[in-house]
Amino acid sequence: MRFLLLNHIQNARDSLRSNRSRSMLTMFGVTIGVASITTILALSAGAAQIVQQQIDGLGGNVAVIRPGEKPASAFDQLTQLPVQQGYTASTLTNNDLRSIERIDGVSAIAPLMVLSGAVSGDSDAPKSTPIVATTPNLEQVNDLQVRDGQFLDPSLLGSTAVIGPQLSVDVFGTEASIGKTIAVKGKEFTIIGVLKRSNAPINFNGVDFDNAVIIDTKSLGSISQESPQIQQINVRVDTVANLNSVIVETNKALLRNHFGQADFTVLSGDEIAQPTGQIFAAIAGVTAAIAAISLLVGGIGIMNIMLVSVAERKREIGIRKAVGASNGDIVAQFLIEALALSIGGGVAGYLLGYFVAFGISIFLTFDPQFNFAIAGVALGVSIAIGTLFGLYPAIRAARKDPINALRQYE
Amino acid sequence: MTIIGTMATNNPPVIVLKDLRKRFGIGDAEHYALDGVDVRIDKGEFIAIMGPSGCGKTTLLNVLGLLDSDIEGTYKLDGIDVSTLGSIKRARIRSRQIGFIFQSFNLIPRLNVLENVALPLTYKGIPRLKRLKAASAMLGNFHLAEREYYMPHQLSGGQTQRVAIARALVNDPSIILADEPTGNLDSRSSHIIMEELSDLHQRGNTIIMVTHNPRLTTYASRVITMLDGKIDTDTDAKKPKKDTTKKRPLGKKSKTTKKRRAKKEKK
Ligand SMILES: Nc1ncnc2c1ncn2[C@@H]1O[C@H](COP(=O)(O)OP(=O)(O)OP(=O)(O)O)[C@@H](O)[C@H]1O
Ligand SMILES: [Mg+2]
Repeated sequence: MRFLLLNHIQNARDSLRSNRSRSMLTMFGVTIGVASITTILALSAGAAQIVQQQIDGLGGNVAVIRPGEKPASAFDQLTQLPVQQGYTASTLTNNDLRSIERIDGVSAIAPLMVLSGAVSGDSDAPKSTPIVATTPNLEQVNDLQVRDGQFLDPSLLGSTAVIGPQLSVDVFGTEASIGKTIAVKGKEFTIIGVLKRSNAPINFNGVDFDNAVIIDTKSLGSISQESPQIQQINVRVDTVANLNSVIVETNKALLRNHFGQADFTVLSGDEIAQPTGQIFAAIAGVTAAIAAISLLVGGIGIMNIMLVSVAERKREIGIRKAVGASNGDIVAQFLIEALALSIGGGVAGYLLGYFVAFGISIFLTFDPQFNFAIAGVALGVSIAIGTLFGLYPAIRAARKDPINALRQYE
Repeated sequence: MTIIGTMATNNPPVIVLKDLRKRFGIGDAEHYALDGVDVRIDKGEFIAIMGPSGCGKTTLLNVLGLLDSDIEGTYKLDGIDVSTLGSIKRARIRSRQIGFIFQSFNLIPRLNVLENVALPLTYKGIPRLKRLKAASAMLGNFHLAEREYYMPHQLSGGQTQRVAIARALVNDPSIILADEPTGNLDSRSSHIIMEELSDLHQRGNTIIMVTHNPRLTTYASRVITMLDGKIDTDTDAKKPKKDTTKKRPLGKKSKTTKKRRAKKEKK
């Protein structure tokens, strides 16, 4: 049996070789599909690793609470468009904040509310400039580094803001902008601090602090009528040992607050390290669509070529049966040929995917990652496509009546 | 040479057909290509089947070779009713017991000569290297050793047919079904092939050969003629034999075989 399998593989190779250009073209659809999947997975793994490093840098004693249910596996994330967080009403409330604060072992917490709106200094800031409303604790929780000045302070009077260095350059032309005034949604804030450049556009907060303007939640009422939406609560625990108990207690407290409904997620460690950026979600969605379409087209291409091949080789099938091939042998032969096409396309796609990923990463702050899971997904998808679209032609081949096949005399 | 005669009678039947019918088409197009064939073939017989074109010879061989199982009547192979066999069992019997030589050459054009000959061994699960060795040895018997790496389209008609025979024999089958193995070959090439077949016959294999050439029936131990899907004459049947070749009563063809054998021994 083992030899037979080996033989089918040799046979498939010979047969595909004898139709080299046809085989190449057939593989192309699968190549594009697998390349898209590989690119997005490699980049998202790279992004996750960056975030992971940030979390490790924070000392491993940070938990994050987000609204909504727990995201499923990475593959689900790839196949379904993530909901854009800004547009859904958050389920987290100020009440939750107070409950978490009271839990033993919590050393500091900070909510993150991200708004968008017009920001301008000497010149207008880019439209996408994030406005982050938080509490002074964020400095401690996130270990934010201030380059000049200080972070938000409850004892300071008036409307104050801390801005990212890139934003400072964008609107004032310099990183030294302490004391200047910045208009956020029409209200003026005095800049009391400029953050140190972090060069981490992708991070677990979902905000690029280099570009952001940070204000106190207390000032929020003066620039926005809507009730604030808490998009994330960052919790710092006093020691790593207490992390688990804090997570358990947080879950309990929030469940109580939410009347038993688990419409929030408490994440720690690796779980936080999933890409959160909206751009990223959009890229993933588009890529998933490209992947799905090209895999479908690729699969149909394989099916088509295999059906042609079966028709062309009616005689061969008849002869093989006459010399002792069973129906199973014929199915195996053609199925393996289809699999050779799809796996060949898949391997090419995997390589192309990394090529593209490295190309894209030139414009990003992180590199694509290699791991077995990505190779496994690429291979799994190829095998699934080959089997799905190769089975029907293979069964057709086995059903061919050898008598009729052998009857066509030359 | 009475030996062969006695062999034929004393050996157990390999093939027994009872009222075998094969229908093609349905409704108005319905047509019986085999229309009530009764025959018993013993182990070690060399049977020549003759008859006009379209009388059902190829159809009969396909049935005997288990390629066609959609039949009426009974076919017992080695005492087993083949209608009880599933497709996997039938494939296994084709693989181990039966060697086909087709009416048209039927090599796989994509494979070279050696691979074509090795093909039946594939389905016996023999590893590639061993397969190719066995095929190479078989081709040597047919003086085709230096054509091993030719593609089928690079061979002459006679060479192609010899390759097809080598392929039928590589499995060491006990039953050989040959459909006009000498098809359109000159008499010298035909002779080489017939010598090979009668050699196999002498080694105890059962051979069933379809031919249009009455001269070739001299190699056979029994001649069956068919007409319109039925057996017309059978030199083995205990009924008056029809003399199809006038000069040589086929029922006693054993004499010629003896002559040929004697000649061989002299060599
Ligand atoms: N697949 C088929 N469908 C319909 N009719 C068929 C089919 N195969 C064979 N027949 C018919 O069965 C009859 C017998 O055919 P067969 O091939 O057995 O003849 P044959 O004796 O081998 O002839 P020849 O000497 O020319 O090879 C013919 O009338 C043929 O038309
Ligand atoms: Mg015929």
